[in-house]
Amino acid sequence: MESLSVQNITKEFDGNLALDNVSFQVNPGEFLSILGPSGCGKTTMLRILIGLLEPTSGSILMDNKDITHAPPDKRGMGIVFQNYALFENMTVLRNVEYALKLKKETKATARETALKMIELVGLSEHVSKKPSQLSGGQMQRVAIARTLALSPDIILFDEPMSALDVATRLALRRELKKIQAAMGTTMIYITHDQEEAFAMSDRIMVMNAATIHQLDTPEEILRNPADDYVQEFVIGNLAEKTASLLKYNIV
Amino acid sequence: MIVTVKRRNCNFTKIILALFFLVSVVLPLICMFANLFTADLDKIFGNKSFFEATLHSLQVSAVSTVISISLAFLLAWCMTRTKVKLKGFFSAVIILPMLIPSISHGMGLVILFGQNGQLTKLLGLNWSIYGFWGIVAGSVMYSLPVAYLMISDILQYEDSTPYEAASVLGIPRKNRFLSITLPYMRKPMISVLFATFTLIVTDYGVPVMVGGKYNTLPMMMYNEVIGRLDFSKGSVIGMVLLVPAVVAFVFDFVSKDTRSSGFVNKPFALKKSVGREIFAYSFLAVVSISILYPIITFAGLTFNKNYPSDLTFTMDNILSTLNKGAGGYLLNSIMIALAVSLVGTALAFACAYLTARVRGLSSKVLHLISILSLAVPGIVLGLSYVLFFKGSFIYGTLIILILVNIVHFFASPYLMIYNSLGKLNMNLEDVGLTLGIRRGRLIRDVIIPQSVQTLVEMFTYFFVNSMITISAVSFVATTLTKPLSLMITQFQQQMLLEASAFVSLLILVVNIIMKTVSYIVRYCISRKGMKRYAHEKTI
Repeated sequence: MESLSVQNITKEFDGNLALDNVSFQVNPGEFLSILGPSGCGKTTMLRILIGLLEPTSGSILMDNKDITHAPPDKRGMGIVFQNYALFENMTVLRNVEYALKLKKETKATARETALKMIELVGLSEHVSKKPSQLSGGQMQRVAIARTLALSPDIILFDEPMSALDVATRLALRRELKKIQAAMGTTMIYITHDQEEAFAMSDRIMVMNAATIHQLDTPEEILRNPADDYVQEFVIGNLAEKTASLLKYNIV
Repeated sequence: MIVTVKRRNCNFTKIILALFFLVSVVLPLICMFANLFTADLDKIFGNKSFFEATLHSLQVSAVSTVISISLAFLLAWCMTRTKVKLKGFFSAVIILPMLIPSISHGMGLVILFGQNGQLTKLLGLNWSIYGFWGIVAGSVMYSLPVAYLMISDILQYEDSTPYEAASVLGIPRKNRFLSITLPYMRKPMISVLFATFTLIVTDYGVPVMVGGKYNTLPMMMYNEVIGRLDFSKGSVIGMVLLVPAVVAFVFDFVSKDTRSSGFVNKPFALKKSVGREIFAYSFLAVVSISILYPIITFAGLTFNKNYPSDLTFTMDNILSTLNKGAGGYLLNSIMIALAVSLVGTALAFACAYLTARVRGLSSKVLHLISILSLAVPGIVLGLSYVLFFKGSFIYGTLIILILVNIVHFFASPYLMIYNSLGKLNMNLEDVGLTLGIRRGRLIRDVIIPQSVQTLVEMFTYFFVNSMITISAVSFVATTLTKPLSLMITQFQQQMLLEASAFVSLLILVVNIIMKTVSYIVRYCISRKGMKRYAHEKTI
């Protein structure tokens, strides 16, 4: 298992700071959420982690090896986007096995691996369908299977459930945790939903305005919020959400 | 070993494309501008005939544009806002004139209404078609389908919800028209107005046939350059003709519709109205007959001994036209059209891929250059090619004809694929990068398969327009490389009416075949998708 270390990453866009000297560690096999409002720099962080963006300064180490400038497919990472980004002209099976078939090492076992991943995300009966015939939740499962197939050490999720309805979200949440337990993959999960972050994460990184406000376990954040921002934005909103349920004695 | 992130801006490809446009658009135009310095501007602008031609061009184009757009609007209204049947048939007939050269419309008028015209004799008319009204009639026929397509597009995508809201609020019909329809139509209608005007003002095919002594700018330019080889005077006229096109281009560019395309509009629910339908049927019938009648006459002239008095079937006209070399010129046309379609489609795809899916300032610049050809009328482009490429190895070959057509017709197919590529998921390339799929593979296996329909449409557009064009090519074609469309004037000048009717018909038939094949291919592609879908649904 490899550990990821982010050191003093700064990213500027036309003079605006999107990330301001950000450092943190990701432990092997953990589920880390990056929580923050739109424009806080969380997506920029994700894109830098996987190599779709270059940082202005700072470095990223994977098991003490500098991967700051490595190409996206040589980092042992996969990414799942909010809008799925599936290959619309291909069936579910082709979507998952396509990248495998292009690589010498995985070519021979591509079909077998793909079918296994599709089974893991529960889409075995849909293998020959095209994305346009699937529901949003099913499409996101295909995207997850496609990423899993290349057996990355780390999977990044860019608000993968924002486009899904509440019931589908809850189901997919459980499944993601199940997959993580089965595969032991490290997961870094971007969200602006406090409740989602608290329900799923081993640790939560609270971001705002290009900086990290707190990085800790959910329990610790609740017990000792680092500052007013964490107190109001994170705990305040979370309390308001749960209060409405408590009112009716549901929780 | 760690490989560093490769540059993903495709700068190399962009530079190659930029160089292509530099050589094929920018330098020829500069070359033409340079000619202005040697021209005696005072003498040309002070010349009475130049002033007259300008005035004529403006008058004829203004009147034609107004008539053309009014008719096109009525047609589009009939087709989108009434419940007439046979819409497929009517729309096919309305766009039929787009499949023959503008010169054929002029010829149709001569055959029917000329001094010895069939209808002139039949109805005992004693007016002359030559001159102002002849050009107006021909220009309207020529531009009507283009205006119709643009306007029906506007009407088709108009949202009906504001009208529903207005009727719930009890706003009277008259006010609805003034406060909803008009503001919605204003900007796009101005675009249609400019486009139609530009199309008409730069056309020389119709005036050459029915202009008579009524001289217009494109005709004057054509005569100066082809007849007297006066390139500097031609350049001056070319510059003047560039003005309306540039104005139209700038207007479109500035007033670009910023409304989100993802927004789904609610289409109009058509109500049955007998009055509306009677009007629509009558109007569509009159227009259809006016369009089909000249074409039937072409066929009559081609296949009958002496149309319309002796209707004995004969192949003589066809054979004698073929003997005059029409077969070879048809081959030229088809070769040019196929090459333009293939290369043009590939080039437009490459440009659109870079501008629609690769970020950066250079993408924006390339986009601007790609649509620039909208602002250059065919005859202006043709003249600039003569000036720039004269003496080069491509001059006098089919290559220059292919090149000039690609550039001339580039913008529309480019915009088709630009729009369709912009609609594909914007993260596909990122996914490709993270999965280790090379860009070329991704384009081949994912992007192109999702764009096939558009690619077929683009191919067809290039093909049909290359078959009918007479503008740019008339300046750069030689007797050997001449496309078929240019034979119409030649036969007409030799008083070979049957031959020029046959040539028009031949071009029409080739284009109808192309359109039909294109339709079938697109139908099969979409059906394949649907079928699979239906199949899955039943499981």
